[in-house]
Amino acid sequence: MAYMHLNHIDVCYDKKINILENLNLEVEKGELVSLLGPSGCGKTTTLRVVAGFIEPKAGSFQLENEDITKVPVNKRNFGLVFQSYALFPHLNVFDNVAFGLKIRKLSKDEIAKKVNEMLEICGLEEFKDRFPAQMSGGQRQRVALARALVIEPKLLLLDEPLSNLDAKLRVNMRMEIKRIQKKLKITTLFVTHDQEECFSISDKVAIMNQGVIEQFDTPENIYQRPKTEFVARFIGFENFIPFTKEKELNYKAQNGQLFDSDSTCETSNCIGAIRPEDIQIATKEKSKNVVKGVVGVRTFLGKSYQYETETDLGKFLVNMQADINLKEGDEINLYFPPNKLILVQKSNA
Amino acid sequence: MRKNKLLTIFTIVVFAFLMIPLFIITVTAFGKGTAITFPIKSFSLKWFYNVLTLDSFKTSFLTSLEVALLATFIALLVGVPAAYALARSGIKGRQLIKSIFLSPTIVPGIVVGFALYQFIILTLKIPVFAGLLVGHFLITLPYVIRIVGSSLEQFDFSIEEAAWSLGSGKVKTFFQIVLPNITSGLSAAFMLAFINSFNNIPVSMFLSGPGVSTFPASLMNYIEYNYNPSVSAVSVLLMLCTVIIMVIVDKTLGIASLAK
Amino acid sequence: MKKRYAFLMIVPGLVILFVCLAMPLLKVIMPTVFAGSYPFHSYIRFFQDEYYLGIFIRTLKIAVITTIICGILGVPTAYFISRCNKKLRGILLAVSIFPLMTNSVIRSFAWINILGSNGIVNTFFMNMGIIKTPLKLLYTDFSITIGSIYLFLPLMIVTVCGVMENIGDDMMEAALSLGANRILAFVKIIFPLSLPGIIVGEILVFTGTLTAYTTPQLLGGNRNLVMATLIYQRAMSLSDWKGAAVISLIMILVTVCVIKAFNTLADKLDKRGENHA
Repeated sequence: MAYMHLNHIDVCYDKKINILENLNLEVEKGELVSLLGPSGCGKTTTLRVVAGFIEPKAGSFQLENEDITKVPVNKRNFGLVFQSYALFPHLNVFDNVAFGLKIRKLSKDEIAKKVNEMLEICGLEEFKDRFPAQMSGGQRQRVALARALVIEPKLLLLDEPLSNLDAKLRVNMRMEIKRIQKKLKITTLFVTHDQEECFSISDKVAIMNQGVIEQFDTPENIYQRPKTEFVARFIGFENFIPFTKEKELNYKAQNGQLFDSDSTCETSNCIGAIRPEDIQIATKEKSKNVVKGVVGVRTFLGKSYQYETETDLGKFLVNMQADINLKEGDEINLYFPPNKLILVQKSNA
Repeated sequence: MRKNKLLTIFTIVVFAFLMIPLFIITVTAFGKGTAITFPIKSFSLKWFYNVLTLDSFKTSFLTSLEVALLATFIALLVGVPAAYALARSGIKGRQLIKSIFLSPTIVPGIVVGFALYQFIILTLKIPVFAGLLVGHFLITLPYVIRIVGSSLEQFDFSIEEAAWSLGSGKVKTFFQIVLPNITSGLSAAFMLAFINSFNNIPVSMFLSGPGVSTFPASLMNYIEYNYNPSVSAVSVLLMLCTVIIMVIVDKTLGIASLAK
Repeated sequence: MKKRYAFLMIVPGLVILFVCLAMPLLKVIMPTVFAGSYPFHSYIRFFQDEYYLGIFIRTLKIAVITTIICGILGVPTAYFISRCNKKLRGILLAVSIFPLMTNSVIRSFAWINILGSNGIVNTFFMNMGIIKTPLKLLYTDFSITIGSIYLFLPLMIVTVCGVMENIGDDMMEAALSLGANRILAFVKIIFPLSLPGIIVGEILVFTGTLTAYTTPQLLGGNRNLVMATLIYQRAMSLSDWKGAAVISLIMILVTVCVIKAFNTLADKLDKRGENHA
């Protein structure tokens, strides 16, 4: 049995629009699971259902085999880190972090011990007496984290905690969060819209689109084998070819051409997706999976050039090494290796 | 969010406390007898007719309107450029100058009325209406400075600079670019200044004279000698005006602007 | 270049203020400072006179009671309103603002209807047979106090509500997530953060009640004078300009001192972290 279970969760707003529909999510103990998706996909709503701020219209939420769907927020013992950090401006760092412990009526000595320990883990000892207004964004973030962790919560919930930080700080802080999470072995739900950030630290990722989880898997699996068009687009696939299935491993494109692919597809209609850097220039031997095209606009990406290429099947973006110098108007044969041509399902619009 | 039942009941009681006295006035306005009774025994509109025909009320109402409009207008004329200069120029002592402009609010109204009466009416022998204008200007100016000032403090002056760079002169820019974009502040200031001038009593009590009296002052005099439903009727009419003004403000500015 | 124009736009207002406010005040009040055997003689005499001292104390007493009760009634109400959804909040705020825009004569008159000898309270109790003769509720300190509370409570509600609305929802959510129930969260987080706004509201209530004229005049009459009605009586009925001037300066000074005291208090509390993280 998984540590945390969301079962058939329905959440609607104003009795009309369903924000979440039949959502299911399982998280194992000690895992760091991310909810990833564009704004409006429902990831924050899901987090707030877990936290207890939103009561689902239907469905249940189990933690360690106990149904806690109806348990009020202040009794759930989850640590929350808000996007705005929500530090109490009138309390200094020590009192902010100690707040949850004071409510749990621990003795003064115990509180001091736990708070100081946590401040050390988060690198905040020298800021003990400072007030939030006197601290930088990264420091405040760490205070928010310390405050949530010191109560030894059953779950750690982070709502886009890094989006207010600049790029370099974001990279450092996500390593910090992962380090602390692993050290304390705390089960964590992490909401973000940044794919790189999410993939770098998560054990599993749930990619969400319009209230539905389109794929839930390890970052590596999602990266190699996206399941749907939406997921593929999200992780860097730029080229898509609609296919109808002829027989096993044979897929027909709009212009009648047949393609091979190493991945499989259950339905009769699917979409072939390939990354710009995986398209190769055809050598004479290969005739299947080859498309003729004309080179268009070229952009310089540093390690490679990206060429817009017009073909019968539409426009493709192709990345080539910088030493291969193609010019506008060149005719070229594009080869789509079967092991790089991934078949994905169409997403619900 | 789930609400605390106790807090809800408490709030209902507080709002009842605020509304019931006004409700009582409204009911008594429709009574027939000369004594004010609640609940009323019979229904009549005669007190409303009475009020609308009373000369003293009619003239004082008009006087109040005139004074309020003029005083507010002058306050805008003097106050808006001053607020603009304070927000834009960055001269030293801005806070001090702003406090000076807001100083009439620290002086109790009754003292302002008294001092003006002594100085302007008795010593300088300025006519009553002008004296009223001076007094009400002191009431309206702080509202203009405070509300228009805060609008300007939040104003994005880069649009002014954009206009300058496109060739528009400074004065022209002020009228064509700055003013149109602070209309909500100007309207809120106008509304609040006007209402507070119209409703003012302490200053007006001192500065009213024979034949020239503001509406609240004449109302107060009336109450001292006449305790009958006329007063209720006047109150209802005034409250009606207030509701109408609030509806207009809500449609144009939003009620929140009055809460600042 | 800007400086010259800036002064041009500010100076007219300052000049008018000087002529219309500063000069009259100085002209009327300055003489009283030096009247008598030594400076401020008249002022010492004011406080030595039992009658005047009584009025001064009565005014202070009413102001303090009104301020306290407006706080007790206003803060929870403002909190309730600030937590309502937008639509309800707008309606409740409008209902709160309505009395503020209604003339204070009307608002005081309302209580004459209720507290008078033929008023609602007395008629009710007499009909019930609880009392034989009407209670003297009007023209007492009590009626002035109730009228003042009625006058200033909406102001308190609107002011405090404005401050509380600015406290983000995430403050309450953070407190809840850490285990606090709603009451504890209010006491430990929301209330301290609203304190500066509450103090501003109380300043307005206190100084307003201290200097009010209409309500004490209508509900207190000439038997229960407060500072403001005393000035009017001295000046208009008794032609004692000097006396009225003395009382005026005392009023100004007390108002200024109270505002300064409250502001220092507010500053001290604010130092513990003013800006939201």
